[in-house]
Amino acid sequence: MSLAIVTGAAGGLGGRIGERLREAGHELLLVDLDPGVESVAAAQGAAAVVADLTTEEGVARVVRAAGEQVGVLVNNAGITRDARVPKLEPAAFAAVIEINLVAAMRLTLALERRFADGAAVVNMSSRASLGNFGQANYAASKSGLVGFTRALALRWAPRVRVNAVAPSLVDTPMTQAMPPEVLEKLVAKIPAGRIGSPDDVAGTVAYLASADAAYVTGQLLLACGGRSLAP
Amino acid sequence: MAEPFVLRQEPIGEALEAVTPALTDAFVAVREAVADERPVVVLVDGADLLGQGASADAAVATGLLGMIRTFAIEGAKPGWSVNLVASREGHEQEAEAAVAMLAASGLSGQVIEVGTAHLGKVVP
Repeated sequence: MSLAIVTGAAGGLGGRIGERLREAGHELLLVDLDPGVESVAAAQGAAAVVADLTTEEGVARVVRAAGEQVGVLVNNAGITRDARVPKLEPAAFAAVIEINLVAAMRLTLALERRFADGAAVVNMSSRASLGNFGQANYAASKSGLVGFTRALALRWAPRVRVNAVAPSLVDTPMTQAMPPEVLEKLVAKIPAGRIGSPDDVAGTVAYLASADAAYVTGQLLLACGGRSLAP
Repeated sequence: MAEPFVLRQEPIGEALEAVTPALTDAFVAVREAVADERPVVVLVDGADLLGQGASADAAVATGLLGMIRTFAIEGAKPGWSVNLVASREGHEQEAEAAVAMLAASGLSGQVIEVGTAHLGKVVP
């Protein structure tokens, strides 16, 4: 049984990804800045690390807990600081890049020697990586993850596979807090006719982490209900 | 027409600590340029855009792509022109021609890859 590490695991999506990986037979190490990750981990019989992945110490804490045979790493931790370009503060731009992109890069690279042969890294990108109103920072961070995914996939092949998932609108506390009329308009743009569920995304992550995807590396899989195609 | 602003991606290799400053500085510079109604062209390395170089360079190149696409989306009404050219070693002249063409075009959100190394590859 190999270890799967999931960051941003205190949230609904990260927690569901952890569940799916546990169902696939992995031991779990759940990571989050939010101490709530400990109760999520306890409920799943998993280990937890509370860590700030923007710091060397936080990354080192995860690496120490990871052991020597990491089978899966899911870089799911992320934030939003949305604003239209004229109102977007450089500090908010930088914070999103640092957490969504650089922290994921730092942790992944720090774990290089801990990955088992055949391990899989899954980076949580976003359909917004293709550009999204009010999200210049988020789009840059999630698009940056795509480049990182590709570069690392080439560098680490054939030992470790590296892929990315790009969800669109997902049913989380963040989207549940949106005004209903706004949410309705956004859902109307999704050919699948509904908002994505955490399970939709977790299933895609589980696929990329599995042996079924053994010949897939360096790819961005858009799990967006067709939103990336629609007018 | 206002003088074009050309932002050239600087190589950072594997320097993770340089990623956030590179992207944030680019954001500020491009925002200032569009506020001055200048057409913007971001010039990146074509190999980095495909992830064929250092991982931090790839992250910056594709990060710039996501950023300029968002500028183009938000700038549709005010008429911002923000585009990207991916260059290759040995194709510098074609890249400069593409930059000049885009800067004068009024187009926005476009990506031009010079050379042929991207053919047969998945382009972000």
